[in-house]
Amino acid sequence: MSRKAMALGAMMMSAVLLAGCAAGSGGSGGDEGSGEGTVKLVAWPGPEGDAMTEVVDAYNAGQGEEDGIDIELTLLSRQDTFSKEAALMASKSSDVDIYFTASYNIGQFAPSLEPLTDIDTSAYFPVAAEGLTYEDELYALPLDVSNHFLLYRKDLIDALLSDPAAQAEYERISESVLGEARAPKDPNEWDLDDFTVAAAYFSQSENPASPTEYGTILQAKNLLYNTMIWNDVLWGYGGNWEEDGEAALTSDAAKKAVQLYADIYENEWTSPDSSQAEFPETQAALQSGDTAFAIQWSAAFAALNDPEQSPDVAGKIAIAPVPGGKTHVHALAVSLNKYSENKAAAKKFLSYLATADAMTQYAEAGGIPAVPEVLEAQTAINPAFEQVSQTIAENGFSEPVFPQTFQAYSKIAEDLSGAWVGQTDVDEALETANANLQELLG
Amino acid sequence: MSHTVERTRSIARERRKRTTAATVLSLPLILFAAVFVIYPLASGTLTAFQSSTLLNQANELNGVDNFVSLFRSDGFAKAAGFTIGFSAVVVAIEMVLGFGFALVMDRAFPGKKLFFTLLLLPIMVAPALLGIMFRLLLNGDIGALPALLESIGVSVSLFSPDSVIPLLVVLDVLQWTPFTFLIIYAGLQSFPKELLEASAMDGAGYVRSLTSVVVPVLKPVLFAAFFLRAIDAIRTFDVIYVLTAGGPGTSTTTLSIFIYKTAFEAGDFGKAAAAALVVLVCLVPFVPFIVRRISSTGMEGKK
Repeated sequence: MSRKAMALGAMMMSAVLLAGCAAGSGGSGGDEGSGEGTVKLVAWPGPEGDAMTEVVDAYNAGQGEEDGIDIELTLLSRQDTFSKEAALMASKSSDVDIYFTASYNIGQFAPSLEPLTDIDTSAYFPVAAEGLTYEDELYALPLDVSNHFLLYRKDLIDALLSDPAAQAEYERISESVLGEARAPKDPNEWDLDDFTVAAAYFSQSENPASPTEYGTILQAKNLLYNTMIWNDVLWGYGGNWEEDGEAALTSDAAKKAVQLYADIYENEWTSPDSSQAEFPETQAALQSGDTAFAIQWSAAFAALNDPEQSPDVAGKIAIAPVPGGKTHVHALAVSLNKYSENKAAAKKFLSYLATADAMTQYAEAGGIPAVPEVLEAQTAINPAFEQVSQTIAENGFSEPVFPQTFQAYSKIAEDLSGAWVGQTDVDEALETANANLQELLG
Repeated sequence: MSHTVERTRSIARERRKRTTAATVLSLPLILFAAVFVIYPLASGTLTAFQSSTLLNQANELNGVDNFVSLFRSDGFAKAAGFTIGFSAVVVAIEMVLGFGFALVMDRAFPGKKLFFTLLLLPIMVAPALLGIMFRLLLNGDIGALPALLESIGVSVSLFSPDSVIPLLVVLDVLQWTPFTFLIIYAGLQSFPKELLEASAMDGAGYVRSLTSVVVPVLKPVLFAAFFLRAIDAIRTFDVIYVLTAGGPGTSTTTLSIFIYKTAFEAGDFGKAAAAALVVLVCLVPFVPFIVRRISSTGMEGKK
């Protein structure tokens, strides 16, 4: 009896630990299908999923009826959409016809996707289409574009720029932080040194008379999306992940970029809680009025100026390019599953999504389409659209696309997040990150 | 003679019938075990010896490469160290608190039902949801708790690197103490009260009765609570992943988070399966010992 119980206990534990780690095998390689019927699409919830829902509803009620196609959209969880897709891809599943993908994972997912050969990408931001191209093939249709801005309290900056006493205090703080007495400037003209001094000036740890408790908020959680924001600083200092195929994270630019985060964190010019901050925490910090400015995702601007969502700061938040003049750009996209059993119908829907009409619907429903013409025509919906279009064209960069780009983002966040908040030595963290990146670059 | 032969045949027939009945009755369990236990175990074990990544789905056997890669990187060892330390601390606290609450609730007092219900509430919340709730509740800018503390002049940053591990311990204790409490409380309900009466007659005080009568008799129950909680603590994932994603750096990465990230972020299913297999191999030797403890009556030493 006791042996049976032991065996059962061991088997139960085994099942618990190993379930889900098994990669399936098989898969037929997919089928064109009849060109009609149900097409299954997944996306993540949030502004992009909401906008896609409206586009899908409109298609099903109109063009879809003519095509004989019904789109079935499933919104997965925002955090785990790509994990679930990875599991489906590993088992060569045909359960989903159209996957939700992004520039940062297209290299990793490409073996499970069908290249899109009939798509004209001339209407899209070149940086978006390039980010979805792997080994000279387009693997996804750009859907939504994301980049960063400096979102700042215009009322506080205006007060600073119009008050000589405040300016004198700013210059005194600049002298102490940078070793040079810089005068305050319009955030549209900030470089990363101005960003640092302003962070100090608006922090009560440095300036007890500051109207906000913290100058900025760093998104320093160990999260791949936070690597994208840190990359703005790295690129802003003239750095990059690699040069000629060799990892370049031990460069002076990389050291300065990590050191800037560490200085801001250790001097309490950002909340100590920012070691676990990402998008929502940054929104909360700006909405509460405790923080003067932050480098934040473009999607945040509308909510911060919405009186219902941000009663304390709506109307006071303005937008400027990221200090340093560089912004990461990635496209969220849709891709055809290589193992889909209904590829012909899925391609018809993808062709529909590539039209200006569909992308206008998408913008009207709250998305940020990767089509500059549509963005510029829809500034009435979101005043940030014009700046999104301009900034991406002038300041946008996309990280190198290689098979393990997705892992590189995660690994850099893992290796550097401790150093960002002063927990590990900057040089040591960069050495580790560089070695790991080199391994991923191959 | 013929009577004996007939009797032997009859016994054999009866045995065959019993064996057939036992086999038929066991079939559902065997099928369940085959589908949900043996297949995942075999498949996972096979994957651990394959090169199985999103980039290379050929699933070719690669010997012990996954294990070599696992032990070469220090991520697995760090995750194991954190998991063992974290589990030891939370399980110890939860056992002590659970036992204490069970003793309190074993007595009659006004408002007992309400207190009982409140005590069980945290266990009914899904761990991931609890993580999200606390992410909001403890947020330095909009969270209720920091605001409350600030109103009395206490400024705290619960997510700073120095306080995040104690915070994770507190949250785990908050959620899972009701679990140990419930098991131990159920054990106390079936506790033979005459033993306490006898020990009282012998002049034993409350503490002596507790240490010499209650604890020894409840040993199997305590081991069951400890074992179930320890297994669960070693698998901890949800709350920590939602709150810290294993950081800053890898300072709060548990084995489950390591395995999850290896499989679904790095797309290396072979290495993830190898890590799971190593954990399994390390844990299995404890199973016979723990099962023996749980199946004991707690009174063997008194015979």
